[in-house]
Amino acid sequence: MLDSKIPSGSIESKWDNRKFENKLVNPANRRKHSVIVVGTGLAGGAAAASLAEMGYNVKVFTYHESPRRAHSIAAQGGINAAKSYQNDGDSVKRLFYDTIKGGDFRAREANVYRLAQVSLNIIDQCVAQGVPFAREYGGTLSNRSFGGAQVSRTFYARGQTGQQLLLGAYSALMRQVGEKAIELFPRHEMLDLVVVDGKARGIITRDLVSGEISSYSADAVILATGGYGNVFYLSTNAKASNCTAAWRAYKRGAYMANPCYTQIHPTCIPVSGEHQSKLTLMSESLRNDGRVWVPKKQGDTRRPNEIPEDERDYFLERIYPAFGNLVPRDVASRAAKRMCDEGKGVGESKLAVYLDFKTAIERLGEKEVSEKYGNLFQMYDKITDENPYKIPMRIYPAVHYVMGGLWVDYNLMSNIPGLFVLGEANFSDHGANRLGASALMQGLADGYFIAPYSIGNYIGGEKLPKLDTSHDVFKATRNDVDLRIQKMMSNKGNQSADALHRKLGKIMWDKCGMSRDEAGLKQGISDIKNTREEFWNVLKVPGNSKDLNSELEKAGRVADFMELAELMCVDALERKESCGGHFREEMQTPEGETLRDDKNFSHVAAWEFTGGNPKLHKEPLQFDVVHQAQRNYK
Amino acid sequence: MKLNLKIWRQKGPNDSGKLVDYPVDDVSPDMSFLEMLDILNLKLVHDGVEAIEFDHDCREGICGSCSLNINGNPHGPDTGTATCQLHMRRFKDGDTIVVEPWRAKAFPIIKDLTTDRKAFDRIIAAGGFVSVNTGNAVEANAILIPKHNSEKAMDAAACIGCGACVASCKNSSAMLFVSAKVAHLAYLPQGNPERKMRVRNMVAQMDEEGFGSCSNTGACEAACPKEIKLENIAMLNREMLKALCD
Amino acid sequence: MYLKNFLASSVGQKFLVALTGLGLSGFVLMHMSGNMLLLVGAEAYNKYAHAMITNPLIIPAEIGLVVMFLLHMSVALKINWDNRAARGTGPGRRPSNSDKDARFASRYMVLTGVLTFVFLVLHLISFKYGTYYETELHGEKVRDLYRLVAEEFHKPLFVAWYVFAMLILFAHLAHGFSAVFQTLGLASVRNCTVKKLGWTFAAVVAGGFISQPLYFFFFN
Repeated sequence: MLDSKIPSGSIESKWDNRKFENKLVNPANRRKHSVIVVGTGLAGGAAAASLAEMGYNVKVFTYHESPRRAHSIAAQGGINAAKSYQNDGDSVKRLFYDTIKGGDFRAREANVYRLAQVSLNIIDQCVAQGVPFAREYGGTLSNRSFGGAQVSRTFYARGQTGQQLLLGAYSALMRQVGEKAIELFPRHEMLDLVVVDGKARGIITRDLVSGEISSYSADAVILATGGYGNVFYLSTNAKASNCTAAWRAYKRGAYMANPCYTQIHPTCIPVSGEHQSKLTLMSESLRNDGRVWVPKKQGDTRRPNEIPEDERDYFLERIYPAFGNLVPRDVASRAAKRMCDEGKGVGESKLAVYLDFKTAIERLGEKEVSEKYGNLFQMYDKITDENPYKIPMRIYPAVHYVMGGLWVDYNLMSNIPGLFVLGEANFSDHGANRLGASALMQGLADGYFIAPYSIGNYIGGEKLPKLDTSHDVFKATRNDVDLRIQKMMSNKGNQSADALHRKLGKIMWDKCGMSRDEAGLKQGISDIKNTREEFWNVLKVPGNSKDLNSELEKAGRVADFMELAELMCVDALERKESCGGHFREEMQTPEGETLRDDKNFSHVAAWEFTGGNPKLHKEPLQFDVVHQAQRNYK
Repeated sequence: MKLNLKIWRQKGPNDSGKLVDYPVDDVSPDMSFLEMLDILNLKLVHDGVEAIEFDHDCREGICGSCSLNINGNPHGPDTGTATCQLHMRRFKDGDTIVVEPWRAKAFPIIKDLTTDRKAFDRIIAAGGFVSVNTGNAVEANAILIPKHNSEKAMDAAACIGCGACVASCKNSSAMLFVSAKVAHLAYLPQGNPERKMRVRNMVAQMDEEGFGSCSNTGACEAACPKEIKLENIAMLNREMLKALCD
Repeated sequence: MYLKNFLASSVGQKFLVALTGLGLSGFVLMHMSGNMLLLVGAEAYNKYAHAMITNPLIIPAEIGLVVMFLLHMSVALKINWDNRAARGTGPGRRPSNSDKDARFASRYMVLTGVLTFVFLVLHLISFKYGTYYETELHGEKVRDLYRLVAEEFHKPLFVAWYVFAMLILFAHLAHGFSAVFQTLGLASVRNCTVKKLGWTFAAVVAGGFISQPLYFFFFN
């Protein structure tokens, strides 16, 4: 039975209670303890800096050349916080409620309430670091609206909020590196987790430049390694984003929770051809002023500006009058897909809808629109060679984020003691769908304000004998890593891992993408198995392993994606309901909205690696504060 | 489109390296420059040849990983554009394109087109931060910042740390990078308590890393994919002068 | 204490070059303005030259000038040396997009500086240490510099070289004078006013100097 370790007390007092119950480590003793942090995005960077400031010995690993390259940097729109600066009725409870509802009632109440509580501290911390959030003329902070909310609570720094928040965390991290409180290992990829006597005690890494395999031990290991959206090959993730660290932990016993919950973001630039290597997101903030439409007529081939107003279908405004263009992402994505399925798609591929700024430009003027979204418009223009001030943007949904991830309890510790999982890598706060501007909030909440407490509690409450990396388990784990690398290097094929990755991605998008059904998922599982077999038949990794070798890096990551993909389909098959980003064709309302089955599926599905069929553990979700209703954005 | 690529291949830091010809055809104008390299690499691997190593990650112009001197232009011919956002429609059928890594002593080449830019991290570690521990912050709206200053700070903070400024500079100077961080924090009250120490330490670290000095040529500003302004360098100089007296 | 570190830093050294450059700019402007008297006539010019030569402040002023020159050149050359070391190796090439290239004048400051120095040495040899003619001015025997200048400015090769050197000086000043503002932290070199100021200053100085030999060669 999974123990989520939710503290006692009313929802408002749970976090306070937990902080009081937590064991502490006195400052002099912290120096004697070490923590490994893998990943330097918002969650990892924030946690590493905070722990080092407290006095722990911190080792930080990233496969990037610099911590500042982590993909948190690409987040555009903003970060939510219940500051209620706009006097529009926001509160901690409302942010909590919006997030639970946005997640289609599949998240833990206690976690989400805490997230909303610490959201206040996050903004304070970031401003103190010098993050240049947008401001009003009076010097106060400015807010914008985002999907799934009727209040303005999103703080932003132009279209580069993620960049500015990450640079804040990065500067805090680098300050500790400068003070020698953090030892930084850039261009090091974690390739395995070392579990000694049931506790996470270290990792095995590969130095990507020299190819050297090394072992590192510590009292606790933090994984802040992001999401696995790249299992779809085409996603808005960075090219190197991968599941390897999480998947290695899974194979060492950590449970993988709700792996099928995938967020498909409605506003991405459509695919232009077979060569496409990744998809580019157009921030959700564009839906503040942009209006989404398709022609009313099927197969309309006229250019957008030739289609008169009364022949346009502003379908989000029509179907969801209360939220209009600002419905949550999963709802907007599915609506766009439905329009394209009905033959109203636009552009050459017919897999796109328009996002039109004509009304906004008429109302605000081109100058103000450009101030708000200039960099996004420019980015669109660069990629598509079309000017969005003149022609409406073409957008289509794309994989953006995964709500699923390693299972963690309220303290963000996985079922392996000593293994903490933060940010997108865990499953904790977003349920079946994440609201816009909440990923940055969660990453920083986990990193700055939750993990430091939990780590102290764990280290203060456990007996952790010093461990040397010459320990047998370290040697055995390292040996496994060596064997895997040898296997890839000696494989006799003639294809880059990329080619097979593309194939896997197509299967996942078709069978386990925006909508899923039983037959498709079963077919998907068998296709994945075949592709995995093919992968090991045709894979070729040129060069050698004692050198910078991006083909080897890719091969390792794709090999893990091949396995994870199957688990995602298994989870999607098992969850016979529609909720949030998980849409089962068989389970929908007459209007085509998600139809949950709270009686049978109001739980977290946590999967255990067994070597054969994965074993399912269920963590029931309790709703004491909110009522599990049918989501309604009409 | 058919293109003749001349790409810098270098086995390691101690190898002398050379330009190697790679003719490619079937290049679509809608491809990005890096997608074109991806496709070349697929072919190379298919032929059992080592793939060309190049830094890249987000491919939307924000992570700062991608680099490449394309026909001598850092990040290619377009202004305000990172290599990952450069599309092949910018080139003509039959063009010869020379692709080289960043060239600077402080950015040693690791392999092929990949360089080591850790010097930038060390400069930030020397002072590119506000010393505020987690939990120390005051209420966010207690610090009022004029919109104008906050916009100026944001202009400077937009730097992605790619190193194009260094690559474009005849002196391999890192002044634009360093000044962007100095200016970002100098425009804000939060940066005030440490502003003198910050500029002194960051400049000292910059010199120690072996970057050249600024000749005010403005090549960096022209090459910068985020169009960071030269006025930041003037601001850094001013901050250095102010830091003379303590 | 901070001054020592400041002067050791690349920014501090550039500051020195800028400051001395500004001083030298003042000197060339004065020198050019004074020499405009050549266009007025022999008497006016010789009177001015005599006043300058016999002024008791001329020695300290010359020493100051020499120190400024030496500082300006030596620090600039030292910086240039460091800058060369900072460059990477490899074929490297000029950008194909001229928008991405540095302005011509800014790229060749060392070259234009060195050429200006060569000119300066030759200039001192031809004039300061040139033939000593004498003339009488209000009953006093003074050096007839006007005659020397007039002679030299009638030699075609000399005039060509002189004009060429002044064009070089123009390039040096056009970038140098505006860059001073940037280096001293006063304003950005990209600031339009600063840019115009640099060009105007360089044009006035170089134009003034060029007008003198051309006047003699063609009109006198």
